[in-house]
Amino acid sequence: MARRRLGTAGATPHVTAQPRRRRRTRGFVQVASTVAAERLRLNMFGHAYVGVGALVIAILFYLALAAQITQSSYDISRLQDQQRQLIAEQDQLRYQEVTLHAPAQVQQQAAQSGMQRLVPSNFVVGPPVAIDLTAPLGGSPADTTPLWMRAVATVVNAVGGTRDVMAATKH
Amino acid sequence: MLVVAAILAGMVWSRLAYWQVFEHGKLAMQAQAQYRELVELPALRGAIFDRNLTQLVVNTTVYSAFISPDQVASADRDRVATGLASVLGVDKANVMTTLASKSKFAYVQRRLPKAKADQLRALKLPGVGLQEETQRAYLPGIASGTTLAANLLGFVDWSGKGNYGLEEKYQQVLAGTPGYISSYRDLANREIVLGSHTHQDPINGQDLVLSVDANIQYAAEQALADGVKRDNAESGSVLIMDPNTGGIVAWADYPSYNANDFNHTDSALFKDSVAGTVYEPGSVMKVVTLSGAINAGAIAPNTVINDPGVISVGGYRIYDWDRRNHGNVDYTSVLAHSWNVGAIKAMQAEGHAAFYNNLQAFGLTKPSGIDVGGESCLLPPAAEKMSDSQYATASFGQGIDVNMVQMLAAINVVANGGKYAPPHVVERVGTHINPLLLQPQRQAISPDTAAKMTEMMKQVVQKGSGWTSRIKGFELNQAGKTGTSQIPVNGQYTQDVWTSFVGFLPAQHPKFTMLVVIRKPHYPGSDGDWTLNDGYMTAEPIWKTIAQSIVVDWHITPDPH
Repeated sequence: MARRRLGTAGATPHVTAQPRRRRRTRGFVQVASTVAAERLRLNMFGHAYVGVGALVIAILFYLALAAQITQSSYDISRLQDQQRQLIAEQDQLRYQEVTLHAPAQVQQQAAQSGMQRLVPSNFVVGPPVAIDLTAPLGGSPADTTPLWMRAVATVVNAVGGTRDVMAATKH
Repeated sequence: MLVVAAILAGMVWSRLAYWQVFEHGKLAMQAQAQYRELVELPALRGAIFDRNLTQLVVNTTVYSAFISPDQVASADRDRVATGLASVLGVDKANVMTTLASKSKFAYVQRRLPKAKADQLRALKLPGVGLQEETQRAYLPGIASGTTLAANLLGFVDWSGKGNYGLEEKYQQVLAGTPGYISSYRDLANREIVLGSHTHQDPINGQDLVLSVDANIQYAAEQALADGVKRDNAESGSVLIMDPNTGGIVAWADYPSYNANDFNHTDSALFKDSVAGTVYEPGSVMKVVTLSGAINAGAIAPNTVINDPGVISVGGYRIYDWDRRNHGNVDYTSVLAHSWNVGAIKAMQAEGHAAFYNNLQAFGLTKPSGIDVGGESCLLPPAAEKMSDSQYATASFGQGIDVNMVQMLAAINVVANGGKYAPPHVVERVGTHINPLLLQPQRQAISPDTAAKMTEMMKQVVQKGSGWTSRIKGFELNQAGKTGTSQIPVNGQYTQDVWTSFVGFLPAQHPKFTMLVVIRKPHYPGSDGDWTLNDGYMTAEPIWKTIAQSIVVDWHITPDPH
């Protein structure tokens, strides 16, 4: 309702347009030819000359267009040939690139640079893992920190932000 | 007069009618052939990548130079011949002979690189043309005369057909479907691009992604070549597998060839020895025999037997390799020291039928089905047709023929917790994953049996014939087995041998399984001591060298103890 009210409020009353009377218009060519015929008052030969002239112009236009098309087709052919050459060059470059990364080439370059592959003679033994991954899961151990230390820590943490350090402290 | 004119006119009209009506179809075709051209649009052949997407094969454009002698004027012949001889290095006299023949077409040289084609084009020689062609270019291998993984990949011949290896097996997938274009040509034989066309786009071939690792492949080829030369062997092969998937990591043959120059290569080198040659696996088979017997509950690793060093089966006396009485020994020692009598006794304890079923479970009674062209197989006879002595010799790997793919897939059952992983090389075709990878693997033996056999194979490295394969840091964590078998010629065993070593590492959580086979080694000093040709002196050091490379490349660490 509101929408309808809003929609209708302030709207101008709809006015139905009266149908226009369609006037019969004559085309430009029709008008031009009528005017030309009236002014030139051409005889039969004149009409023939104009006709032949128009035909010659049309033929010339067609020939020009055909020549242009032929020229374009040769251009396209030339560009296609160029494209083929570029693709051939691209293939060659791709092979060079792949060969540069081939193990044989890498080894050769490494050898030229004085590098050689060494067989590891020893394995570094890692330190024992601090976290016991096999321990059963359970609740966190009770906090045994004295009350006064926790109070101090609250103040210090609030200022210094060492919460992570506290979290990492071994209980 | 009128009649004569009418007759003449009638003759002309009838002749015209003959050409225009009766011969219309034929003449129309001839005319079309002059101005219409059907050009095939070749499909781009798919590339091949390794598991790290290193491209192993690249399509390159090459040119074939040709001459049309009938279009070369006599005055120009010398200039044309001189130009071709200077750029292409062909014999000038031969070119002059061809030019004098007045034939329509003759190739001067095939498959020129672009640089030479450009030089030739710049000379603008009359009657000389260049034909574009596509050529596969393979990565360089360990030596200048080889390409990487040549025996695995195969090659594509000049007609675009894949030969050998993956190029042959996946010809349809890689080649794609060529398209065509039907167009008009002008008097100068130039294409009228904007004329009427019928056009069908080609469907390019699909790429293959392999399970092969190019770096490991290279390391394997290098170690194999060095090893074969050191052992004075006839040839050798290496096959490495991912234990969990069955994907082939490396596939090396020595001697190999240059796939980029296949037309100048001895065709005998094209044959791949990994899948295309069968051999008697020797003592490596004991892993299969003992695994089956343990799985059937017939024996246990600590079961003690008496091994006098010889046993009579089916009228034949079969000896241990050292022909010594070993007394009471357990099966772990039997495997560690590779005693034939123990293997025969295990087979007998299990029974013939169970032993044969075991061969089937390990995939040794049918082709491996690997997706590489040219797999050879010599399947064992049916169970009921095998004699006692055949069962006995088969239990330690003589009198039974396998190819390397079959043998490695069988041993990999132990590394893969008792499951048979179907061997394959191609992981993806285009965007599709190889369906083999999505299928559940068949359980050939129980995981418990596989674990027991792994422990026994570890003892081979720690206490037995596998000592030369030990890798620093993995001494307690390495499983393996040697094999040596005599090569039969005309039904008689000769002194020449196949030697092999198979193993996986780390033993508990294997990252790879590898089999090395050397054919006819003549290790220095082996004339006086034939055991120097055994697997522990020939195949094992090669295995060790390659394994060290894999450990470094794949950052493999020993299992925690």
